[in-house]
Amino acid sequence: MIAPRHGLMLIAPLALVLAGFFLVPVLMMLPTSFAEYVPGAGLAKGVWTLENYTRIVTDDYYREVIWRTLGLGLFVTLACLVMGYPLAYLIARGPERWRVPLILLVIFPMMLNLVVRSFGWIALLANRGLVNNLLIDLGLISAPLKLMFNLTGLMIGLTHIYLPFMVLMLVAAIRNVPRDVESAAATLGSSRLHVFTSVTLPLSAPGILAGSILVFVLTISALVTPRMLGGPTYKVMATLIYDEFMQLLDWPSGSALSFALTFMAIGVIWLSSRLTKRWAGMA
Amino acid sequence: MTSATDSDDRPGLAVTTTALAVIVFLQVPVIVVMLAAFSTTSYLTIPPQGLTLAWFGKVLSDPSYLSAIRMSLILACGSTVISLVLGVAAAYALFRKSVPGSEAITSFLMAPLILPAVVIGVALLQYFSLTGLRGSLIGLLMAHVVITVPYIVRSGLASLSGLDLAVEEAARVLGATGFEAFRLVTLPLIRPGLVAGALFAFITSLDNVPVTIFLIGANQTTLPVLIFSSVEMGIDPSVAAVSTLLIVATGIVLLIAERRAGFHRFV
Repeated sequence: MIAPRHGLMLIAPLALVLAGFFLVPVLMMLPTSFAEYVPGAGLAKGVWTLENYTRIVTDDYYREVIWRTLGLGLFVTLACLVMGYPLAYLIARGPERWRVPLILLVIFPMMLNLVVRSFGWIALLANRGLVNNLLIDLGLISAPLKLMFNLTGLMIGLTHIYLPFMVLMLVAAIRNVPRDVESAAATLGSSRLHVFTSVTLPLSAPGILAGSILVFVLTISALVTPRMLGGPTYKVMATLIYDEFMQLLDWPSGSALSFALTFMAIGVIWLSSRLTKRWAGMA
Repeated sequence: MTSATDSDDRPGLAVTTTALAVIVFLQVPVIVVMLAAFSTTSYLTIPPQGLTLAWFGKVLSDPSYLSAIRMSLILACGSTVISLVLGVAAAYALFRKSVPGSEAITSFLMAPLILPAVVIGVALLQYFSLTGLRGSLIGLLMAHVVITVPYIVRSGLASLSGLDLAVEEAARVLGATGFEAFRLVTLPLIRPGLVAGALFAFITSLDNVPVTIFLIGANQTTLPVLIFSSVEMGIDPSVAAVSTLLIVATGIVLLIAERRAGFHRFV
């Protein structure tokens, strides 16, 4: 045991840095989000309004962006699950000597610069990109498919970006499923598919949930990939916030949107922890 | 049905094929970028037409790329070192349970991971505009500490949790001061985990756009922000060349980390 006095001295520097450069700046956005924006002049002094928040739910354009963001989060999460599970299963249960090389091939794109990865997808998905050129050369299509600046492009790009996170979570979850239970089910006459659906899948459910929450929250918060693959017009919440602050200079509206996005991210995490606790209670 | 042998629950052909296809999917954009960097055309073509190293020469002699690379390295090294010092100290105090409310403090220290990065970015933009820190190196460094320090705290706590306190106590009994005992006994034991955490912190800083882009002043553009904005202007193969340099650097760092510390265990 070290004395509480020493413990405080060890924690205080970091706590102060986080208070000064994280907590206070975020809290200082709160008054801004209730301020009134005057085009050209900035914030109206002493005028408080709820309009920045009510606009988020009443304005058709904002609503569309929010639904698009949430839909994107859902699609990307599902795509990561469907693509990630077989790979995670191979890593967890496949040949031992494949394991480390496969994990490294999953980690490598994850460690790679996000801008570089999004740039790679632009080269692939653009009108004159690799995918369209290949399809035209093969005679499968006559005019290029629209793969960028729309939902398709964002889905492909974001799935690629967040798939490694899902795979790593699922590998841990599948490795936690006791093989004895699977073997027991097989011994008792279950087919391989039945063993998978009735034993492996339910027992890896906590990992599936954790990975899904992580991917969903990362997707709805993403700025770089949606901006690069969606362009300046096809917006999600993060790129909308970016524009409110950098282009329109409407900081009150941008602040309100920031809190809405934060609320959504934290709400999803809170819901999932409630769900996990309930599951743990049933077991 | 006889008892399940080892080969029975091995992934079948369908699973293996799908999984390998997903692995290929993960590498495709990386390969595409690397191929595009060697093209002789001034626009992006794949497969490359002709073969040239000219774009690498252009990048390495372009002052704006060089200054962006320098800025990125300064920020990544600086914030990793500061985060290591602050984060390890905090993790150690939390591990020794020497402060009340350690669970709440841990959540607070990890909070920057939960908040969307763009929200931290705009919050700091307003804060720095009000306090005059916008465009200052110290402000940028502190912003990067905020987004990197959770990785250090997390890896610090994880490495410490497997530690036997008795070893450190023994050093104390033998006359070492508290700091000596930590530096000579505890620190070497948690080093592999900290190296992995520091690597994550370094890459997080090097990768960051959504916080940095709101805060940089003139001549403070980092490499990812420069690539990000030059893509909006239109693409030429020099973007692919500088990306290829980053890909190769990341690959080398990952391989060294794997050889030296068994990096994949810490992910």
